[in-house]
Amino acid sequence: MSEPAVETRDLVREYRGGIRAVDGVSLTVDTGGIFGFLGPNGAGKSTMVRMLTTLLRPTSGDARVAGFDVMTNPDAVRRSIGVALQDAAIDPYMTGRELLRLQAVLHGLKRAQGRARSDELLGRVGLETAADRRVGTYSGGMRRRLDLALSLVHEPTVLFLDEPTTGLDPMSRVTLWDEVRRLNTEHGTTVFLTTQYLEEADQMADRVAIIDGGRIVADGTPRALKAEVGHPLLAVTAADASTPDDVARVLARFGEMVPGAHVGGAAVRLPGGSAAMADAVRALDEAGVRFAEIDLSEPSLDDVFLIRTGRHLEGADTAEGGPATDA
Amino acid sequence: MTAASPAIRQTAALAWRGILTTIRLPQAWVPSLFFPLVLMSIFTASFGGAPGRIPGFPPVRSFLDFAVSGAIIQGVLIGGTAAGSAFASDIEGGFFDRLVASPTSRVAILTGRLGASMTLAVSQALLFVGLASIFGARVAAGLGGFLVIVVIAALFAAAVGGLGVYLALRTGSAEAVQGMFPLFFALLFFSSAFFPAETMTGWYRTIVDLNPISYLVEAMRAEVIGGATVGTACTGIGIALGLAVITVGASGLALRRRLRVAA
Repeated sequence: MSEPAVETRDLVREYRGGIRAVDGVSLTVDTGGIFGFLGPNGAGKSTMVRMLTTLLRPTSGDARVAGFDVMTNPDAVRRSIGVALQDAAIDPYMTGRELLRLQAVLHGLKRAQGRARSDELLGRVGLETAADRRVGTYSGGMRRRLDLALSLVHEPTVLFLDEPTTGLDPMSRVTLWDEVRRLNTEHGTTVFLTTQYLEEADQMADRVAIIDGGRIVADGTPRALKAEVGHPLLAVTAADASTPDDVARVLARFGEMVPGAHVGGAAVRLPGGSAAMADAVRALDEAGVRFAEIDLSEPSLDDVFLIRTGRHLEGADTAEGGPATDA
Repeated sequence: MTAASPAIRQTAALAWRGILTTIRLPQAWVPSLFFPLVLMSIFTASFGGAPGRIPGFPPVRSFLDFAVSGAIIQGVLIGGTAAGSAFASDIEGGFFDRLVASPTSRVAILTGRLGASMTLAVSQALLFVGLASIFGARVAAGLGGFLVIVVIAALFAAAVGGLGVYLALRTGSAEAVQGMFPLFFALLFFSSAFFPAETMTGWYRTIVDLNPISYLVEAMRAEVIGGATVGTACTGIGIALGLAVITVGASGLALRRRLRVAA
């Protein structure tokens, strides 16, 4: 019905020296969801975001955001989007409230409107008590929340978050996730989120695209992507007089065995999905095989990445706190 | 409401931010007050006897009357360089991106920064003249003369700020902008900011006579020590305005170029 929040066709960005950071990306992001753009460092995520937020001109191809062309109508795009870029660009010498009020003026809000909106947003991201402190005294999590508030001053329809939780501790990460989710469900804001964390994409996004080397290697709901890769893995631990071989003999009836995947028992991929687990358990029982633990694990987005690229996503850049720069 | 009003409000808001962040960062403003005042004091103490004894030195009531204009120009030069490096920091830190990704008027991105520079320069001129007057200096041309001094200081601040912003946009590096500072400082010493051109000879005199800063300082100084005319005031204001037009124009082009290439 409505225009897609983001739509690109054969989008390319070539840097000097002919390196193609984004190499022919065609994407459609529907309005109203949380879209996860997943990929390792240097995959082209930030370049993509910079093009969609009018900060970088595409070398070729088309991109429309909130229904407006980023090349021919950048001002309309800028009025429709909220942007929180990697490495929150925040003055350490200004207070949170001052920065919000400044942002409100930059977006053309009237003085009274801007003040009211600033107060409202400070409350929403839980920074009321810190509002009049200089940002230099904020923790990493507080800065990201302020950055989020800043990007929301003008009630954008599409919100771009470029690696919003990179470098945050797990608690701050969860707080930010909650806020983004609430924004999406309560205000209907479409969220375009880039991340290098599998878990983040899996938890947050109702649709995921995986980018590697400037190209989209997978695109779909996390569930569909994982289902494509393989079936859930059922692992059963043998107990009492039963041996792993006893377990394996029964499980083999339900799917393809995965030798060596489970010590002290056996593991099988269930083509019938999770529903087949009940049947397998019943069969074990009927065969008189004793077992202790049952573990059913879904394939992860990392398995998706592995199948499509031949590499693991996490561990590809284990450099903790290393430069998170995208070419 | 006119169509221009958002750009004006944005300029004012960005200028206010520029002033706040300068005031709250002592290393951004202390040098622009400290060095000129120290030099002014040292010169006044050392060369207090120069007027009337050194041939070519214009008649003045005291050396302080003579020195205050140079101090203002020096302060503006330091402040303007700081404005340029602050702009470069905005580019490095991402504040510039935040502005560009918002509907902020592209003109306001420049005028906001320059507005902050000019406001700080005017306050500085007020402060220096005020301090000098405590120690006995007087603006001979009175309030009108003082106004000329303030206008030249403000325009020169726009000129130096424009150059700083131009360098910031071309290099994107605060360090690179700060690296230009010694050059600006040399420009100051190859002018009549601290001593009258009449006392200089040879190639040095040639450079001083070619240096636009000399004309700015001399126009301001004439208002303080006497001998100012509409002509001297217009020369000073005109040269400051000309410099500002050139550098601000160049920074406008550099901004367009950066936004177009955006790489």
